[in-house]
This record gives sequence, C-alpha cells and structure tokens, in this order.
Amino acid sequence: MYPQNQQFMPDEDLAYTVLSDLKRVTREYATAATESVCPTVRQHFTQLLNTTLIMQGELYNAMSQQNMYNTASPALRQEIDKQLKEYQQTQQKTNQFVQQRRSASQPSQQQWGYQQAPPWPIPNYVPQSAGHQGQHPNTQPSTGYFM
Amino acid sequence: MNMKPISAKELEYLADSMSNEDLLIKQCTAGAMSCTNSQIQQVLLHQAQVHQQHYQSLLNCLQQHQSIAPTQPQG
Repeated sequence: MYPQNQQFMPDEDLAYTVLSDLKRVTREYATAATESVCPTVRQHFTQLLNTTLIMQGELYNAMSQQNMYNTASPALRQEIDKQLKEYQQTQQKTNQFVQQRRSASQPSQQQWGYQQAPPWPIPNYVPQSAGHQGQHPNTQPSTGYFM
Repeated sequence: MNMKPISAKELEYLADSMSNEDLLIKQCTAGAMSCTNSQIQQVLLHQAQVHQQHYQSLLNCLQQHQSIAPTQPQG
C-alpha cells in the first residue's frame, strides 16, 4: 500500500474510474449479446452482462456507504406530476389506437403464443459483502461464479 | 450444444471484451494496492478475481469456436 502522501490517486477517484469502466463494459456486453449469431455466444455475453451489472452495483454500494458518491438530487413532485399526466394521456391515446386497428381487422386475430424471455441460468454470483454492509472486511472473497 | 460458427463481428466483440476484462483486472489489482479505504480495497481485490474468470471464460468460448470455423471464405 502507498503511504498516504504518495497515493497513486485519491480513493474516490480510483473507485470512480473502475465504476465508470464497469458501466461502459455493461453496455458493450448488451450490444454484443444483441448482435450475436451463435446462441452459445449470445448466452455467454448475457451471463457476463448480468455479472458485470451486479459488480457495478456492488462497487456503487461500497462507494455510497463510504460517502464517495454524490447522489443526484431528488426530482421535484411537480415534475413527476407533469410527466405522469402527460404519459397517462399518451397511454390512453395509444390504447384507443390499438383498439381501433384491432376491431378493423377482427377476423384475423392471430394467436402469437409469446413465450417468456428465455430462462437463462441466473449467474451464480456471490456478492462480496452479502449483507450490504461492510461489516466483515476480513471475509475471504468468495469465488462461486457461474463458470 | 447448439454452436454455430461465429461471425467476424462476434470475433471482434470477443476480442474487445477480453481487452476490457484485461484492463479491469489490472485496474482493480493496482487500485486495491494503492487504496487506503479497506471496504473499497476488498471489493476491488474480489472483483479482480472475477474479471480473471471472465477473461478465461471468453478465451474458452473463442477456443470452442476455433474448431468449427471455416478455413475458406463462405459464399
């Protein structure tokens, strides 16, 4: 460990650098999964996406517990009211649109039988600090991942 | 197992992903060494190991597709 006065970077900057890379890598895995031809490759990227998301959350939680992350100020009630009203109207109009189009072509109602999203195996990720609290700094890092 | 030959794009994504994971292994390891906050240090040390596993799994994935890849350009 560096002595305090010759630290490579302040702790929060260091953690923030890793955090932003995790965010970037999450997006890249999502893009890679959507553009994969081979099903096993797609599944692979999907699993890596899930694990990376969990890791990003884990680091974010640690940083916010250490007051290293300024959370954005909460949205105002009146702003929420405004958006809610607007999008309730949009929903209503769209529902009307859907009903009109459907009733126009009533006879050819087709049964699509959508299935649920593919049940990918949930990555066997064991978060580093299971209880959300950094109470056990000496816990051995667990290595029970999906691979 | 349902395996198809990978496209050039997938190959690029696999390669880019290994570069990303490699960078994260180094960042987490070096970061943990210089970090003074023990909670952050533990998370970084732990995650460095996970990135190593990710790297290995990407490498394995590429190896599995090596054998089924055509050696001549297809149609």
